[in-house]
Amino acid sequence: MKVPYHWLKEYVSFDASPEELAEKLTMAGLEVESVEHVWNNIITARINHLEPVKGSSHLNATKIFTGEGRELSVVCGAPNIKEGDIVPLALPGAQFFNDAGETLTIQATKKMGVVSEGMLCSPRELGLSSDHEGIYILPNDTPLGVSLADAVIHLDIKAHRGDLFSMVGIAREMAALFGAKLKQPEIKLPEKGKNSIKKMASITVKAEDDCPRFTARVIRNIKMGKAPLWMAQRLALAGMRSINVIVDITNYVMLELGQPLHAFDYDKVANHHLIIRRAEPGETLGTLDGAMRELTPDMVLVCDESGPLSVAGVMGGASSEISSDTTQILLEAASWNPVNIRKTSAKLGLRSEASSRYEKGVDPELALQGLNRAAQLMAELAGGEIVPGYLESYAHPSPNVTIPFHASACEWLLGYSVTPEEAAGALRSLEFAVEQNSDDGSMLVTVPSWRGDILESADLVEEIARELGYDRITGKYPTGDAPEPQAANWFDIQYQFRRRLQQCGCAEIVTYPLTNQRSTLQLLTDESDTAQLLIGAVDELAPAEKGKKNNGKNKQKQQSAQSVSETYDQAIPPLSADELPAVRLVNAISAKMDMLRITLMNAMLETISANLRYGNASLRLFEIGRRYIALPNSERQLPDERRTLCVGLTGYTESWTEPRREYDFFDMKAIIENIAGGLHMTNLRFTQTQSPIFHPGRCALLEVEDSHAKESRFHTIGVMGEVHPIIAERFGISQRTYLCEIDLARLYLHNTPPRFQPISRYPALTRDIAVVADISVPAQTIADVIKASGGELTRSVTLFDVYMGDQIPEGKRSLAFTVEYQAQDRNLSDADGDFLREQTANELKKQVHAVVRE
Amino acid sequence: MLDLLRILQESALKALLSAETSAEIAQWQNLYLGRQDGELTKILRGLKDVPAADRKTIGQRANEVKNELEEQAELRKKAIAEQELVSALVAERLDVTLPARTLNSGYMHPISQTIYEICGIFQKLGFHVIEGPEVETDYYNFQALNIPQDHPARDMQDTFWVEPGQILLRTQTSPNQIRIMEQTKPPVRAVVPGKVYRNEATDATHEAMFHQIEGLAIDSSTTMRDLRGALEAFARELFGPQTKTRFRPSYFPFTEPSAEVDVTCNVCGGSGCRVCKFSGWVEIGGSGMVHPQVLRNVQYDPAVYRGYAFGIGVERIAMMRYGINEIRLFSQNDLRFLRQF
Ligand SMILES: [Zn+2]
Repeated sequence: MKVPYHWLKEYVSFDASPEELAEKLTMAGLEVESVEHVWNNIITARINHLEPVKGSSHLNATKIFTGEGRELSVVCGAPNIKEGDIVPLALPGAQFFNDAGETLTIQATKKMGVVSEGMLCSPRELGLSSDHEGIYILPNDTPLGVSLADAVIHLDIKAHRGDLFSMVGIAREMAALFGAKLKQPEIKLPEKGKNSIKKMASITVKAEDDCPRFTARVIRNIKMGKAPLWMAQRLALAGMRSINVIVDITNYVMLELGQPLHAFDYDKVANHHLIIRRAEPGETLGTLDGAMRELTPDMVLVCDESGPLSVAGVMGGASSEISSDTTQILLEAASWNPVNIRKTSAKLGLRSEASSRYEKGVDPELALQGLNRAAQLMAELAGGEIVPGYLESYAHPSPNVTIPFHASACEWLLGYSVTPEEAAGALRSLEFAVEQNSDDGSMLVTVPSWRGDILESADLVEEIARELGYDRITGKYPTGDAPEPQAANWFDIQYQFRRRLQQCGCAEIVTYPLTNQRSTLQLLTDESDTAQLLIGAVDELAPAEKGKKNNGKNKQKQQSAQSVSETYDQAIPPLSADELPAVRLVNAISAKMDMLRITLMNAMLETISANLRYGNASLRLFEIGRRYIALPNSERQLPDERRTLCVGLTGYTESWTEPRREYDFFDMKAIIENIAGGLHMTNLRFTQTQSPIFHPGRCALLEVEDSHAKESRFHTIGVMGEVHPIIAERFGISQRTYLCEIDLARLYLHNTPPRFQPISRYPALTRDIAVVADISVPAQTIADVIKASGGELTRSVTLFDVYMGDQIPEGKRSLAFTVEYQAQDRNLSDADGDFLREQTANELKKQVHAVVRE
Repeated sequence: MLDLLRILQESALKALLSAETSAEIAQWQNLYLGRQDGELTKILRGLKDVPAADRKTIGQRANEVKNELEEQAELRKKAIAEQELVSALVAERLDVTLPARTLNSGYMHPISQTIYEICGIFQKLGFHVIEGPEVETDYYNFQALNIPQDHPARDMQDTFWVEPGQILLRTQTSPNQIRIMEQTKPPVRAVVPGKVYRNEATDATHEAMFHQIEGLAIDSSTTMRDLRGALEAFARELFGPQTKTRFRPSYFPFTEPSAEVDVTCNVCGGSGCRVCKFSGWVEIGGSGMVHPQVLRNVQYDPAVYRGYAFGIGVERIAMMRYGINEIRLFSQNDLRFLRQF
């Protein structure tokens, strides 16, 4: 809401600059967006002399008198001025906006050799009108040298205070703030003529629930024309253009009092009978903006006997619009159901100054005041004759709201005590009626009709607190009862994960959880892949040995996923590419963000791709966020929000101390093991697998052994690998890239406190062992056999070499381990070593057909 | 024989002086004192052929010469070793301005850091940290917060709908006020950090997804002064002890009375700059006493219990703390940006 500073002074006297006023309003809860200074250096002046500029076809040289001092020389090209006219003169320094929105500053110049010390202004330049009609000629009695400078305070009024969308509403708040008196505009009604309105017009309100109050008057013998400068000027400052005197008066009264009005051309209303009703199916109306509107039965109309005249409270119709020929006005001031107006305005895509006020609720008590004020102005400014009497339908006047109140309610909420006198005084200053009970500090408060937002005691406390000033709410260190300390929670757990990833050299990213199906499906190498594989952290993947991709395998995957979800997590149903279990938006901003993510991996790849474009060639990134899995067949209304970790890695080690090395699979694995180590997990395993996102030979399923289950059982917690080159390319990445996605809740299930192992006093025995086995035997399996074969004596098994080539048969490889043995109770001898070695060799032969090299 | 010894002693000492390295010393030792063919050893070995009468004197003298030579050799050796160490160390000089070996330290996102710092301050004041769902029902996001279906406040928050009128992306962290109060009896003190969503055009200061921290404290004695005290303590810890806090009346459907919270601009210290739009104050969030209707909605009796709620914008605070002028940097995740935190 734009509040012109000088206009406001008409309703309340105060002594404060626009900036001081803005500060005061802010602290009273009226949010000031900005203070705009307008029309600086523009004053009224008279053209004392006028003659054509030599050699110009249209320029005139004028001598301008501003009431004192010397005459100024101003060159002007407008044709409509003559000697003696009083005009607005812009002096050097005055600023205007041109049509392109650029600021123009007036300077003294020379035009065709003649000095010009300013500019005469047109209504358009002052923002008063949109047409090029020459210089604004002011009335002859306008005093000279009067500055037009003003300020406009831009207020952001919250929707619950519909009463503040008017000058009087703001002035009322200020009167309370400054301890001044509100000066309502004085209404004088020179009714004229013998015929009462009842003989000239009638109203029928059929939709009483939608129209709490409807009032109307008739004004005759209107002389159409322009509104006076002062009114056009105020409208312009408040953001409205001047149209004609009648329309301007309805807008002016709306701005002044907050009551929207509508003026019908009396002669265009069939039988002069207004009917307020809901629209009938199929009805249409041509509105003032030139559009043909289709009306629906939930819309309320003002009609005459032949059809719709206006959409109530939203916009008038073209057929009854006033024009330059109009001589008689049928004037409407009504109140409408705010919800109905809001819906109608949304449905028609039409938002007017009137509808935006009605949406917030216009006090029905205001209707008659607005009607009379507009009628008065039409008589004063357009020569109209007000027909005696008015028409009214006021079916259900709302009773006054009264609230029993006690001053102690202030201390209950505000924390400082307020005397009954202070409380009552504050409320009275805002025009609440207060009946005090002198005995016990209680009081009965009657809420003014325009304060529909005040419903109970707490609302009154806020009004009192505003009047007394929020500065009185001084801070105190919070005491009172605190809840029991909180146990470990996800907020802290996730912090630990973040710290650990940070220690692994990873930078955290935060991406939009909003994505789209296309970006998600880009993670699948080909269409036959099921999207369930995207939920890598959730569903079991088929082991790699089971052959190439085919439909049969997909079925198998689904079955295994199903069995997992049955036994482990009911929340995750199996799914296919065409049935992503995604949460979709019905009103997305863009097709790029129309669903919530079901994986973090596509956003990670997009982030990596963008960073490569920015020139960041080596990236170790992670994100901890949620995936949102829709549960269509579940009792639960809301999706499963799964806490998830995604790590992305690409590029190379960067240090001058060693040769540059490309990041590889094992760098990613190191990060994962580090995280698992932070949770003291010893039961994590990496199983060779295949997934459409990853390089077919470089993908691992992350599984943990269930420490609670009786028999050995592994649960999938995530997936990792080198991104398939086809997929990397789709995201614009042409270097090897590694991804990992882990379901954090599942990982954290296996968090165990560290268990102390006694440190042996006896020295360890170290043996190296080289094992030749089929390439297909996983290194982990061999290490497991070595470890198990040493029983309790095995301390560690560490791989130090992998070799293929000379002396090793085709299809086989040699893996060399250092094994450390240690006993708690004795020295291990060389004989022990030899025995263990033989035992290990036997087990390796038996279990994985491997041979220990001598 | 004694002459021989004297000559040997002189030449040996002379040779010793010309030895420059530990290797030359070793060579010298071998030449004169070697067990097999050392010159002195040879002389000592020849003692058995010396007449018995001279043997004692010569033997004594030979031992003296041997001891002196050994002593001198030790001294020389030590001097040379010192010399050699000095030159070795000189040769090992490093250019200490060469870059460090990479330790691979990573970075936490400034939004995460800000959330942890803010919540950490409230944890010290006895608040729990709780997280709630981002996909919410209309009931928790609006109705229970005193924002019924046709309430104009819904205009203030353009909503992403999953099922129109029923399921949505939460527009605020406030639904957790309801969730917490439904699940616990007073006293309640909790902060709820998290993502929120608004369906509106994005620009330098607005994103469709951003982060908020909700606060809630309910018991039988908490007033707006406690609210202000808690927020003052928070602001002083986050922005420094000189920070001042101010309350401005405001409107939220779920608090009454309501207050906007401003802190003194920590860029200009309150004298006015571009960040604070020359007001000296920066708004950090909204707050107020929990509306009695909200308390009734969760079966808390407003005549017995009272308390406050607040909401803090994380991006806004991070932008102010780090001097970031563009909100979209947070979601662009450019490493050159992330590396600065
Ligand atoms: Zn500042």
